[in-house]
This record gives sequence, structure tokens and C-alpha cells, in this order.
Amino acid sequence: MTGHILTVREPAGPPIDLTGVLPGRLAGDGAGVTVICGRERHPLDALFDIRDGGPSGSLILRPEGAVLDAVGAGMAEGEILVEGDCGDQAGRAMRGGTLIVEGRCGAHAAAAMQGGRLMVAGDAGDFLGAPLPGGTKGMGGGTVTVGGSAGDRVGERMRRGLVTIQGNVGALCCARMIAGTVVVGGGCGPEPAAAMRRGTFLLCRAPDPPPTGFVDGGENDWLFLELLRRELRVHGSWPAGFPVAGTRARRLIGDRSAGGRGELLILSEA
Amino acid sequence: MRLNGVLIEETFAEAFPMLGTRLIVTADSPAWVQAAAVSMTGFATSVIGCGCEAAVERLLPPEETPDGRPGAAVLLFSVSREELAKQVVRRVGQCVMTSPGSACYAGLRDGPPIPLGNSLRYFGDGWQIAKRIGGRRYWRIPVMDGEFLCEATTAVVEGVGGGNFIILAADRHAALVAAQAAVMAIREVPGAILPFPGGVVRSGSKIGSKYKGLIASTNTAFCPTLRPAVHSLVPEGVGSILELVIDAVNPQAITAAMRAGIAATAGLGAAAGVVAVTAGNYGGKLGRHQFHLHEVMA
Repeated sequence: MTGHILTVREPAGPPIDLTGVLPGRLAGDGAGVTVICGRERHPLDALFDIRDGGPSGSLILRPEGAVLDAVGAGMAEGEILVEGDCGDQAGRAMRGGTLIVEGRCGAHAAAAMQGGRLMVAGDAGDFLGAPLPGGTKGMGGGTVTVGGSAGDRVGERMRRGLVTIQGNVGALCCARMIAGTVVVGGGCGPEPAAAMRRGTFLLCRAPDPPPTGFVDGGENDWLFLELLRRELRVHGSWPAGFPVAGTRARRLIGDRSAGGRGELLILSEA
Repeated sequence: MRLNGVLIEETFAEAFPMLGTRLIVTADSPAWVQAAAVSMTGFATSVIGCGCEAAVERLLPPEETPDGRPGAAVLLFSVSREELAKQVVRRVGQCVMTSPGSACYAGLRDGPPIPLGNSLRYFGDGWQIAKRIGGRRYWRIPVMDGEFLCEATTAVVEGVGGGNFIILAADRHAALVAAQAAVMAIREVPGAILPFPGGVVRSGSKIGSKYKGLIASTNTAFCPTLRPAVHSLVPEGVGSILELVIDAVNPQAITAAMRAGIAATAGLGAAAGVVAVTAGNYGGKLGRHQFHLHEVMA
């Protein structure tokens, strides 16, 4: 029993929505499975060359330059490897398994994600780990790793889970966050953690200007940072610019203007 | 059976199922680990009077603890999951959380959970923070020296309580030397603890008493001073007797601990005043587990 390798036949077409194309759901040649491309639904094998390959329970996608939306949407188990870029909503409402993107991914990646692991080697778009469009609940579990930078509103309304970004993030990172952890290796854009209720935003560079609505709790040792560092190092996602030892960080508490008890932790050099 | 001139009697130790858990306590230095762990395992010699039996299983170097600091593995046993949960929360809350710089983690993964930080978190008065790291949940509770980090739950396993053997020696000095040798050996066995002071019991008990209301009383059959006056099991030439009581996470650990302890005792030999080794039982009527000395030492 092997997995499947799907290669796009006509890369120049409109975006392909891969909702429902998941590891283990494809039997044999993928007969009976349809996907939406543009405004029409097509048989999967009309748009993809489907071959057996890869480990059992896995799915390898070769976009060949096409835009693939909703890769891994609702995935509960198995592994998807995207040998290129993803479109929007990668890992949408994902519950388990692993989604690996070797390139970049678009907006709303990990939107309303509940579990599993999303690993993006390149950049991610806006609304990473945020609610689905029109929704009110952000990421509720799972782990997201981004090797590059991410756009605006990362972790908005996030409720649980861990997001790690090696590079920079845009505006309103962790806005209206309820719980969970966001780790940013680079800088952050305007209004970080606006209206944050709870949760942790961990970074190495203090936001400039300092976020309004936050009070400075001073420096202290935070033992859980050692556990977090060990966990992220296992997966190679502890940001390169972060200290390799020590648990000392400055803590800003807020957003007090929203009655929040969240925290911005700004790591100190060991 | 004789080992090095020491008689190993053909009898068995009778032991009982108990529910147990392992906790990992860490702190900034070995001294503060000791302070927390010793306090936490204080007054925990017997479930009859203390609610649980507990002791430090072993000290842990920084590379073996979750947070890279010095630590100790502590085992706690009780008769029911409810009582164990109560004892764990009381002892961690009063003895570990109060100790400067401490943190507390679950030392067992498999088994039904009982609350740890999930109960203690309320001390944070709303400022506590939950964190899930590596699939495990922790509570960060603000305290006066910073933050107390505590895992949310710990797992319970069905262990064994009351494994034992009894050292019969010529005099009190010889008995104590033999017992201390056994304690040193048993402390090297993973998964086993000796809950009594220094690992040794000098007041072994029998069931019942001439006095109403007492469920246990001194083990007259093993009191050398009563030998001429009661139905005694003290052989000629024995002037002092000490017992080692062992709790463990499984029967295999009890066996390993008894073997190590008896071997260390017998290793001193008859020349050191060790006369015999026997074990405590109730005729096999009460305990689910029987550890026959000859099988243990085979």
C-alpha cells in the first residue's frame, strides 16, 4: 500500500480548490473524487496526473506553478507534502496529521485549525491561524511553523496552539487573541496584540512604538520558556535570532484597555 | 538457603496492590530540590496513619529533568485514586509550590490522570496561565518569587505496597549496619522506594491489639525482649531485628529491590552478626502478591 502523487496537468488554469482531497481518501486512481476549479467542478483525474507513490497514508502534490487552495482542509491524519507553493487556506480547519509546504502559502493558512502540524518553508500570507472569513474563532490547537515571514493579523482570535515564525510579521499580530502561543523571530508590524485577552506573544525585539494598553511587568525568569525552547529545537523551529540559553524576558501585560491578561514576552540575551 | 552463612528462611513477603504516581520536582540547586522533596515526602510512612506512602526514588541530574535543572523523582502510593489525588495536591501545594524556585512535573505518562496543576492553578486567582508544549499541558501560577510551573495532571499506575524483608541480627549495631547496607542497595533500584525513616522500620506491627480501637500493635513475635514470655519467632542468638518495607510501581521492582537488599545484607555475612533474613506475611490470606525469598534470591 502506497500513497499518491498528484501532478497538475494544466498549471495555467484558475485556482483549484482541493477541499476533500486528503490522504487515505483516494482509492486507486482517484475515481469519483471531484474538485472545484474556477466556477466548475471537475473529476480529480481531469486536472491531475495521479500515480501511486510515497509512503502509505501520504499525499504528494506537485503544483507545477498552479494555485492550489484549501490544501489539507479538514485533514485528520496522514501527511501531505506540497512540492511548491500553496494558495489560500492551507490546513484550514485541520484536525490532525502533517501538512508540509516546501514553498510559500497564501492567506488564511491554518485558519480555525484544531490540531496537527503545518510546516511552511517559505512565507505565509495574512490571517495565519486566524478565523475563517466571517468566523469568530481562530486557531484552536495544533502547531504551525513558518520558515519565512508572515502577513497581517497572525494569530487573530487564536484560542489554543502554537505558531512559530522565523521572520517578521505584519500588523495586528495576536490581535484579540484569547489563548495560545505565537513566537516571532523577527520584528512585528503596528498594533501588536491589540485587544489581546490572554495568550503569549514571544519575541526578541520590543515593538516600536510600544503597544498601547500594555503595562510593563519588568524582567523575570520564565521557566516554561526552557520547555518551549526544547520543544521547538526538536523541530528546528526555535528562531535563529533567539538566545540559545536562559529564561529571562521582559513581560508586558495587557491589553488592559480591553481588560486583557495576555502577555508580550521580550526575550533577554542570556 | 544460606548466603554467606546467613540463613534465608523459606517464607514469603505478602504485599498489596496500591495506586501510585511519580512526580519530578526541580529547583535552582540540589539543596532546594532536597528541601522541597523531603518536605513533600514527610510524614508519609504508612497509609494507615499518613494517607499515603512516599519517598524520593532518586535524585536527577539536570540532563534528566524537563527544564534542565537539578531534580528529584518522587514516588507516592495510596489505597485509592481519590486519596492519592488528595495527597498529591496537598503535598505539592504545601511543600513544593511553597519552596523557592521549584517546579513540578509528571513522572509517568501512561495511566489514568489525576489532577496536579489542574487543582493548584486556582491559587493563581485568575492570573494563572495554561500552556501546552509538546503535547503536554502546564500551568504557570504567579508566586512571590516569580512563577510556579506545574504540569496539569500526572498518571496513576497500579503498584505494589508492603514488599518487605526482616533482618535478624546478633545485636542492634549489627542489625543497623545490615539494614543500612540493604537501604543503599535498594535505592539503586528504579521504581522502588523505602517510605520509612532512613528506609528502615524498627516497630514492625501485627494485626490487632488487646486494646479496643487499635487495629495494629507491636509485633510481639519479633520482639527479642519478649522472647521468653510470648510465642516468639526470634531464634536463639538474635538480639535485634529490623524490617525494610518496599513500595514499587510494579511487582518486578519489588522483586529487584528485595533481591538487592537481601544480597547486600547477606553479603556482610554471619561474621558481621547477621543471623537470618525472613519476611512478614499474614499466611497468604490478605495480600494479592507473594514474594518468596528463595525465589527472589534464586
